[in-house]
Amino acid sequence: MKDSLGIPQAPLRGPDEVMRLARMGAMFPTRLSFLRSLMRRLAAEQVRVARPVWDICDEGFGHAVYTLTLGGHAYALVAVSTDLPAEMRTDRVIAEAWDTSYVLYDGIPDADEIARIRATAPKQEAARFTERDLILSRANKSVRLFAHVVDALRRGQQPDPELIRRIGYLMRTTAVYGNGKFGIADRALIADRPGLEGPFAAEMLTVWLIRHFTHDLVEHVGRGRLNRRLKRHLGIGNATGLGMAPFLVNHPVLLNNWMTARETALARVRVIQRLDPEQQARLVALSDRAARHLDDWNVPDPVHQARIDRLRRDWADARRRFDFGAPRALDGVMRQVATGSHDLQELTVAMILEPFGDLVDDLAGNMGDRTGPLCGAIRTVEALRQQTEKTFAWALAPDYAAPEHCGQFWYVSEAKQEPRLGLRFEEPGAELESPLDIGRRIKALHAALDGVTGTVSAFLDDAPEHALAVSRVQMATAYPYAEIRDNLIATSCLPIDMLRCKLSFFGASKFDPKSDRWTRITLCQGAPLADELDRDADDWWLPVFGA
Amino acid sequence: MKLSLNEVTALAAKAARGAGAPPAQAAEFGRAAARHLAAERDAQDLAEALTALPSGPILHLPLMVMRLAEEVADGQARAGIPRPQMTDLLRSYLDAQPCAIVSEGVGDTFEITLNLGDPAAPPPRARAEVPEDLFIRMTDLAARILVPESEASRRSGAGAGLTDND
Repeated sequence: MKDSLGIPQAPLRGPDEVMRLARMGAMFPTRLSFLRSLMRRLAAEQVRVARPVWDICDEGFGHAVYTLTLGGHAYALVAVSTDLPAEMRTDRVIAEAWDTSYVLYDGIPDADEIARIRATAPKQEAARFTERDLILSRANKSVRLFAHVVDALRRGQQPDPELIRRIGYLMRTTAVYGNGKFGIADRALIADRPGLEGPFAAEMLTVWLIRHFTHDLVEHVGRGRLNRRLKRHLGIGNATGLGMAPFLVNHPVLLNNWMTARETALARVRVIQRLDPEQQARLVALSDRAARHLDDWNVPDPVHQARIDRLRRDWADARRRFDFGAPRALDGVMRQVATGSHDLQELTVAMILEPFGDLVDDLAGNMGDRTGPLCGAIRTVEALRQQTEKTFAWALAPDYAAPEHCGQFWYVSEAKQEPRLGLRFEEPGAELESPLDIGRRIKALHAALDGVTGTVSAFLDDAPEHALAVSRVQMATAYPYAEIRDNLIATSCLPIDMLRCKLSFFGASKFDPKSDRWTRITLCQGAPLADELDRDADDWWLPVFGA
Repeated sequence: MKLSLNEVTALAAKAARGAGAPPAQAAEFGRAAARHLAAERDAQDLAEALTALPSGPILHLPLMVMRLAEEVADGQARAGIPRPQMTDLLRSYLDAQPCAIVSEGVGDTFEITLNLGDPAAPPPRARAEVPEDLFIRMTDLAARILVPESEASRRSGAGAGLTDND
C-alpha cells in the first residue's frame, strides 16, 4: 500500500483504535512533536539568540530582552521579573500575580515598546496588548529548586544533581496565550511566516526562550555558572488545567491532522523491510534510554505512580524480546506489544519513529490547519443517516439518560471565563452547558432523522439545534481522526487524558497529574541550549539526567 | 474599540449563544462577524442579527450556504439566490467559508460560485473596530452562558491546586 507521495506504508491504525481517551491519555512525545520540529528548524537556520538588554537587580528583579531571527523575521522575548509574595503564588490560571511574565514580540522593541510591555505583561489578562505582541505568558519559580541553585552557586558550588533530576525545571508557566487573546496578534498574522507555520510554533519558541531566561536569571542571582550538563536537564515546567481540554473538541481538523501525521509516520516505519546494523543499535540505545527515563519519572500521585511502575516492568520485559534484526522488525515490535497496556504501546510507537527522521519528518508540515473543515456537504438525510451509523457507532451506543453516561457537564465559569467541568446532579449550571457533548448530540441527531426524507438543509431548517451534530458527521470521511470517540460527559471521562494527548504533541514529558483535571509537565528538558544549536539539536527524545 | 479578529470571533459566537442561537450557528456567526467588521461593513447588521434570534439571519444564512454546498459537483457549485435583506452579512458569511466563494449581486438575485478545491485562509488583518454599543451588547449577551461560581466549582471545577510554593 502506498500513499499519495509514493512512500510505502502499512495500513493506518483506525480511529476506533486510536481516538479513545484511554489511549490518548497514554501518549508520549515523538519526533513530530512541535518542540522537536521547532528545534530542528532553529538548528537548520543556525539561529543565534542575543541578549541586548539585561536590566536585572542583584535579587533578580527587572527585565531582559532576547532577540533572534527566524525565517527572515526578527523576534524578541521581553521578560519581566517581579518580587512576588509567597501567598500570591498559585498554579491556577486564575492567579493575579506571577514571579515572571513574558511577551514574544514581533520585531525588535524600542525603549517605548519595552516600557509598555514592562507595564502590561505583569498584569496579563487584566491588560490589553497589541498586534506586535505575539505570545503572552507567565511563570512562577519552583521555589525549592530556584533557592537551592542560588544558594549553591553563591557558595561556589554546583546544585545537588539529585534535586535537579527530581524537579527538572527552575520555573513553570501557568499560561501561554496566543491567537489574539487580550489583543495580542491573531494567529493568521504569522501563520505563513517561515518557522512559525506549524501549530503552536510561536508558543513553543516562547517557552524555549523562557527556559533560557530562567537559566540566566538563576546564574545572575547566584553569581555563578551552572554546569552545562545540569543546565541542559533544566527544562521549563508547566501547569495545565481544564482550559486545554475543550480545544481538542473545538478544533477537530487540527486534531485530525496531528493524529494523521503521527499514525502515518507509524505506518511508514512499520513497512521497513530490514533495519541496518546502525539503526538496530540506535533502537537498542533508545529502548535503554526510555527505561532510564521511566526510572527518573516519579510522581506523588499513587495511582499514576502505579501506572509508571507497571510500565517500567512491562518495558523491561518487552524490550528484552524486541528483535530489531527480524524482517519488518518494527511491525513485529508493534505486534508484540499489541496485547500490552496502552502505555506500553504508545511508548513503543514514540520510540520506533525516533531513528527515522528522513522518513517521517516531512509529515510535520501537514499538522496545521489554515482554513477549517474543507469537505463536501452530505446532501440527503438518508446519506447522513448512513454516514452517522457508519462512523459514529461509539456515539450511538450509550444511553445518555443514564446518570453514568451524562454525569458531568462542561461549562465556562463567570469568575474567569475559563472552561470548567461540573457534576450534573450535584452542581448548578447544567442548563448553560458548553457543547462538548458530541456523542449525545450525534445520538439525538440520529433519532431525529428517523422517518425524515429530503435534503439535510431542509431538515436543519426545521431542526436547527442539530446543526453541530450534522457538521461533525459531514467531516467524518475527510477527517477520520477528528473526533474523540468517547463520551465526554460520562462520569468516567477523565479530562487528564485529553490534556496528555495535546501536551504530548507539544513535546511534553514527565507528566505529573495532580488530579484527573490538571497536571504538571516538563517542556524542553534535554533540549539544546541557545548556544548548542550548531550541535546535534535533535537527539533529546525522553531525556535522561546525565546522559 | 479595537479587538483582534479572534476576540471578535469568540465574543460574537458567545453573544449569539447567549441570545439563543444553537452552537454551530453561533460559531458561524462568530466567524462571519469577524470578517464583517474587518471589512468595515455595517456593524448594525450584527446587532440586528442578534436581536432577531431565535430566528433571522443567524439561522438562515448558514442554510443558504449549505444549500449551495449541497449542489457541489466536481468540487464546484454555482447558484443564483434571491438577494437577502442583509446582503453584506451574507457576504461576510461567504468570506468566512474555508473555500473560495465568489459572489455578485445581479438585480434582485445574488450569484454565488463556490470552489471546494480552492482553500481560502483568513486574510492577515490586524484589528477590527467594534463600536462600543455593539461591544457592550455582545458582552452582555455572552455573559448569559457563563456559570456563576459555587462552592463546589471553586473546590473542584478547575481542579488545580491553590498554592505553588514548592
